Amino acid sequence: MSDDTVGATGRLTYEGTITRIIERAPDTRSFFLRLPASQPFAFTPGQFISCLLPIDGEMIRPYSLASNPEEPELEICLNRVPGGVGTAYLFALQEGARLRFTGPWGTFTLDQAPEAECVFIADGTGIAAIRPMLRRALNGRSAHPIGLHYAAASRTHLLYADELETAARAHANFTFVPLLGTPLTEEIERRYVAADTDRSRHFFICGVGDIVPRLRDLLRRSGYERRAVQYEKW
Amino acid sequence: MAKLRVLFENGAPERIIEFDPSRAPFQHDGRAGSILDVLAGHGIHLEHACGGNCACTTCHVIVKDGFNRLSEAEENELDLLDKAPGLTPTSRLGCQAVIEDDAEFTVLVPRFTINAA
Repeated sequence: MSDDTVGATGRLTYEGTITRIIERAPDTRSFFLRLPASQPFAFTPGQFISCLLPIDGEMIRPYSLASNPEEPELEICLNRVPGGVGTAYLFALQEGARLRFTGPWGTFTLDQAPEAECVFIADGTGIAAIRPMLRRALNGRSAHPIGLHYAAASRTHLLYADELETAARAHANFTFVPLLGTPLTEEIERRYVAADTDRSRHFFICGVGDIVPRLRDLLRRSGYERRAVQYEKW
Repeated sequence: MAKLRVLFENGAPERIIEFDPSRAPFQHDGRAGSILDVLAGHGIHLEHACGGNCACTTCHVIVKDGFNRLSEAEENELDLLDKAPGLTPTSRLGCQAVIEDDAEFTVLVPRFTINAA
């Protein structure tokens, strides 16, 4: 840690170079960041970075890491927010631009699959945090069932769809359930509340807005242990 | 007017802010009128890595006076506080605890925030 990487508040800041920008869906892009070799960056699947955008001095915008720690570049995946100054700034950036950030942050993480059935629930761009957690769980060779219920506005908004479908074919214990119209709460209630009395499952929920606490409350109130229902609401 | 006294565990000099809660928000991060909003709006830095969205614990403060006059904590905040280092019975997240009354409050900003799970 050198003086020029520590801000006035003692934060260790990083500066990555944007090496690639991918249009994953309409108004949804992945930005790939490469850090200098002198700045190794360790994180746990599920964590996020806080981008320090030069807007009104400095504006903090947190983004989940969609990549896994073992990959050479960091990936953030975000959609353009109507009227949002942070995403407007990021969507104007070109490859080669630099991005300052702090991190990793957050306690919504999964380092290895729990010794129980594991259910991931993603709504929209909430898949960004879920993706590295899921990949870590699948690589752990757990024998327990692993499920992903992923709600998106349309097939074109289903991010990482090919990768997820490939994973479902490769892992017999993994079930991928894309939801393109069925309300997420109804689906979860039908499968994990009404269908049986098994309450040993672990849930990892990520999304934007009130859908996240609604799912949390549904599961906790139906008998799942509080700590077996982990979530991150953006 | 409300009065917020801020103590820093790292030894920085204490600060006292007097403000009108009805004039919130004072800036753009955290809930309007929250401890984070009041501090940031008065030039006092409180870490808030998630942008004040109740998704981390970096704005953890320990309320020394006025705890019962703050807005009540919701489940999301309580779940996150469970993971905060140095948790106390009067811990709150600065981005969520809203000062609604003209009362006196004292908060302590802990020395350490957590940079990982």
